Amino acid sequence: MYELRQVDKHFPGVHALKAVDFKVNRHEIVGLVGENGAGKSTLMKVIYGAYQPDGGDVTIDGTVVRFQNPRQAMNHGIGMVFQEQSLILNLTVMENIFLGYEQQFVKFGIIDWKAMAQAAKAQLAKVKLDIDPATTTSDLSFAQRQLVELAKVLTLEERIDGDLVILLDEPTSVLAKEEVELLFGLVRDLTKRASFIFVSHRMDEVLELSDRIYVMKDGAVVDVVAHDAADIDAIQHKMVGREVDKEYYREQKQKPYDAAQALVSFDQVSCGRRYNDISFDLHPGEVLCLVGTEGSGREAILRTIFGLETPTAGTVKIKGEQVTSFAAQSGVARGVGYIPRERKIEGIVAGMNVYENMTLSQMPNYSSGGVLKVGEEKAMARTWIERLGIKTPDVYKDCGGLSGGNQQKVVLAKWRSGGADIMLLDHPTRGLDIGAKEDVYEMIREMSAAGVGIILVADTLEEAIGLSHTILVIKDGAFQKRFDGTPGAKPTLYDLVHHMI
Amino acid sequence: MAEALLVEGMETRIMSDITAQTAPPARWLTRERVIKWAPLLVLLFLVLLFPFFEWLEDFREAKDHIYLADSRFFSIRNAARIAIAATPALMVAIGVTFIIIMGSIDLSMEGTVSVCAVIFAFAFLGWGGTLASWAWLAIPLALLVGAVVGCINGLVHVRLKIPSFMASLAMGFVGTGFALLLTGGDRIRVEDELFRSLLTVRWFNFPIMCYVALAMLLIAWFIQSRTTLGRNFYAVGGGEELAHASGLNVSRVRIMGFTLAGVFFAMGALLAVGRIGIAETATGNNFMFISITAVVVGGTALWGGIGGVWNTLVGVLIVNVINNGMVVIGLPNYVQDGVLGLLVIAAVVLSTDRKTVSFVK
Amino acid sequence: MSFIKKFIEQETVSRRNFLLASAYGVSGAAALRMFGPSPVQAMTFADPTIAWSYRNRTNPYWNEIVSGGEAFVESLGKSKEALTHLINEGSSEKSLADVKALLAKTNGELALAIDTNDAPNARPVVEACAEAGAFVSTLWNKTDDLHPWDFGDNYVSHMSWSDEKPAEQTARILLEAIGGKGGVVHLGGIASNNPAIERLQGLKNALADYPDVELLDAQPADWDTQKANQIMSSFLTRYGDEITGVHCANDTIGYGVLEALRAEGMSVPIVTYDGNPQAVELVAKGEILATVFTNPHWGGGITASLAYHAATGAFKPSEEPNEHREFYGPTIMVTPEDALEFKANYLDNVPTYDWKDYWGPSNGPITYK
Repeated sequence: MYELRQVDKHFPGVHALKAVDFKVNRHEIVGLVGENGAGKSTLMKVIYGAYQPDGGDVTIDGTVVRFQNPRQAMNHGIGMVFQEQSLILNLTVMENIFLGYEQQFVKFGIIDWKAMAQAAKAQLAKVKLDIDPATTTSDLSFAQRQLVELAKVLTLEERIDGDLVILLDEPTSVLAKEEVELLFGLVRDLTKRASFIFVSHRMDEVLELSDRIYVMKDGAVVDVVAHDAADIDAIQHKMVGREVDKEYYREQKQKPYDAAQALVSFDQVSCGRRYNDISFDLHPGEVLCLVGTEGSGREAILRTIFGLETPTAGTVKIKGEQVTSFAAQSGVARGVGYIPRERKIEGIVAGMNVYENMTLSQMPNYSSGGVLKVGEEKAMARTWIERLGIKTPDVYKDCGGLSGGNQQKVVLAKWRSGGADIMLLDHPTRGLDIGAKEDVYEMIREMSAAGVGIILVADTLEEAIGLSHTILVIKDGAFQKRFDGTPGAKPTLYDLVHHMI
Repeated sequence: MAEALLVEGMETRIMSDITAQTAPPARWLTRERVIKWAPLLVLLFLVLLFPFFEWLEDFREAKDHIYLADSRFFSIRNAARIAIAATPALMVAIGVTFIIIMGSIDLSMEGTVSVCAVIFAFAFLGWGGTLASWAWLAIPLALLVGAVVGCINGLVHVRLKIPSFMASLAMGFVGTGFALLLTGGDRIRVEDELFRSLLTVRWFNFPIMCYVALAMLLIAWFIQSRTTLGRNFYAVGGGEELAHASGLNVSRVRIMGFTLAGVFFAMGALLAVGRIGIAETATGNNFMFISITAVVVGGTALWGGIGGVWNTLVGVLIVNVINNGMVVIGLPNYVQDGVLGLLVIAAVVLSTDRKTVSFVK
Repeated sequence: MSFIKKFIEQETVSRRNFLLASAYGVSGAAALRMFGPSPVQAMTFADPTIAWSYRNRTNPYWNEIVSGGEAFVESLGKSKEALTHLINEGSSEKSLADVKALLAKTNGELALAIDTNDAPNARPVVEACAEAGAFVSTLWNKTDDLHPWDFGDNYVSHMSWSDEKPAEQTARILLEAIGGKGGVVHLGGIASNNPAIERLQGLKNALADYPDVELLDAQPADWDTQKANQIMSSFLTRYGDEITGVHCANDTIGYGVLEALRAEGMSVPIVTYDGNPQAVELVAKGEILATVFTNPHWGGGITASLAYHAATGAFKPSEEPNEHREFYGPTIMVTPEDALEFKANYLDNVPTYDWKDYWGPSNGPITYK
């Protein structure tokens, strides 16, 4: 019923959409996949009215429509569940759900909160969320917020006649596995009421959920695959135009580590309620993967090693020396590098250029008496740009303007160039496309070969299994089981999940 | 992944707004560039605008007037006058630039300037009253006082965790009160010819104080671009969390920033005394408005991380050119304040990429 | 829960008291009005609190006023600290609130000297004082329809200065000095301030007799040295050598003008106003042609003295003629010839004034246009 015919979109110098045909049927879930820059975002913006196409038609039930803005699209039944959650955190759930549509509850200029709460309750029931609509949104978990967001879009059902099309943009990126399952069950259930367009990086998820999958490359739809005929390898091949081989995780490059000495030693370390009684050693050249669900304590362990959290019990040794003062400065001084999950917040300083970002953690090495040696900084930056293949016009480029993968490389270069030999990687491949992911895997192997000890919190279990020498499973802050990850003897997904949940 | 495309999409979309989707855009005219150079363009525009009004006035009266060549505004002598008016404000504005780059704000300038000016004058007169005696020590003393006030500012802000605008505003009042206590409301005249040569002796048409200010500007530029401290200001302003996670001592950077700002405020006080020959509690008056305005008009972002001392130079010149030019073209005084306000808004509009800032609080 | 009950009871009682009190207040005021201008027998006090209410001390002019008040208090054999300072920081609301608070604190045993910050504020201040039985003398600001004699003894006096005449005199000195031809510029105070308006008017009055002198420009410099400095340098750009004389609304502005001229190595005759010590020195050196001394020290002292002596009953305001209740303050012209003598008499040694000679140096009754 909703259809794009030969839709074109130009930006100066870019042909972002090339004669795209796209169709959503009633009660259908349509998947949309493609690499970074393939045109997915542009297509979605055209669909929900943020962009107006230069050519082609948008039709609903055969009638040509033209949206000037997202609100008009909404009035035609097209809703968007945003990737970066669009809820306002200091408002209550019901206020969020009816944001901009409060008028229906206004009597004599006053909002009838009871009526709004009731209506909100009805919306929340659609997504099977049993919470008080007067809860402040910031008190909800990410998964709950995602559902509230969905409930908000589902209010369209009451507001408009006709069918609903709901876009889900990376809805699973902040969810744990079981929450994803929950969401999928819900979405399948909701196909009674609406059609969905599902965009995700996680190919397996797209495959699992979608009835049909549109594959985009370079602004064009290169294939449409039905659920039953879908095959991950084939789709990935179409997306990237190259084979994603079995050597994806560079297992052949996994070399045994030096077990004789320990870079980091945890001896029965506890940190408040975050984690309890954790012990392990990290050796040079070892990739140690912490596996667990969201909130299981993985991040807190990383933050302790870097010095951002102070443990409440146990001893932490770095390179044989017991750590007594926990501060980021001392972490850096001990050669610990930390690549946090939110690159935008904690990874790079937008507004500072490439070399400034790279030397941020090691300015004393590039200055004397407080005066910077900018020449040396640039020379170092150029070396690393070449070494890591960072795509940037020059060292003066504002890092905020680089793509996610290249930002990640800059952060890596920052720590590696500073001689960090303990690297803490928190979801280093999150939000990267396949090509960029492979670059990161390559870098991990390279660092490992150079004797760097790496503690990894991986984006997926496959990644964890593929990359690591050692896997520690953690559940609710407590150690569960240690797996050996030597190639050929790697644990299976099932082994891990069994201990995680 | 979407974020990369999103940013890209935004830029291209903005571009398409400008070029109306017709001609292929010239690569050098990016919005980024326009924004970067907008303050300077505004300055140039103003410098050409005021002579135009002069020309128009003479044209109406049918007098001979060659545009620019016969302009009184567009003359070396007037340039020197604008420069003299701008130098103390420039020092103060440079000081606050560092703070704003850090994403904080310092509103203590009026009090700090007053207190430094008054202590300088007392010490100067008390120790001999001429630069040729030990009284020259009053100059480093004043800079030290500025540093101390700034340092206290920083300590109050960082250690007591009080928002910088509140901490510094309060410190400013303390400074004004202290200056009043010292002077009891009197003015102190500094009449030493040697010290006043800052104003009275000219090299190449410009008085010495302009060269002193230029030297300070270059020092500030050096600090900004070539020292770890300067780099740290940008890091803290661009991402405080990240700066912390990169092992920077953010508290120390902040305190040093406020201290440095205090030194520049003191420098502003010295030049203000050099210009007027009077130190009093009112010496610091109006510096808050002019310095913050100049910094913002120059294109330094109030949320930190972007901008620098050259932007501030342009900003200070814009404000002073406007002030001078409005009198020179004989704009009625009741219009002047309104025009200044409008021009400030226009300059900020031109120099800020508001598309990247979704909400302004 | 008993404490809640207790609290409510207390509240009710205090509310009732409050209502009673305000009802009494209203009828009390009405009673006062009913008797109208006829003198209500004011109670006098042996030792009333003496207070000065003003903007702040940053301004040298107000500093002088208040030092006069302090000198008066010392003449009573008290220490300086006996003078209560109410500082309004330019807020009429604060001015009134402070006065009311002090009235409550002193139970009306108060001799108040005050500049009410703006004219409309004078009435509520005076009414509050009269109601509380305190004695008040005002300086500078009051509306034209507010008169001391309408309040019996409690509104003791009002003093102001007319700046038009003295400003005209300085202007004549300036215009004579430039030979009756050329161009002058005027740098004024805050445009809406009454003294600023009067001082500019004074210049205009004088110019009427000098047809060959052109008033090139007049801009407000807000009583501020630095602003005056910038405006003067802009004037130099616009008018250059056409400027043959500068008329300044006060000394502070004059300093800025002098420095702007000095920066250019120029010298143009200028006149100022207020007679601050430094300006007088500059007059003695010939750098300023003339300034007008308004003796703020005496003004501040005598205003406090009038309120105090009325409060103690040393004299009875309602028995004084109107020109002793509303009068102009003194003005003394300072020119190079007499600057040194003036300085010796008034500035180097602050004269010991007879604070009981209430009207000696004053300048006649206030006239309304």
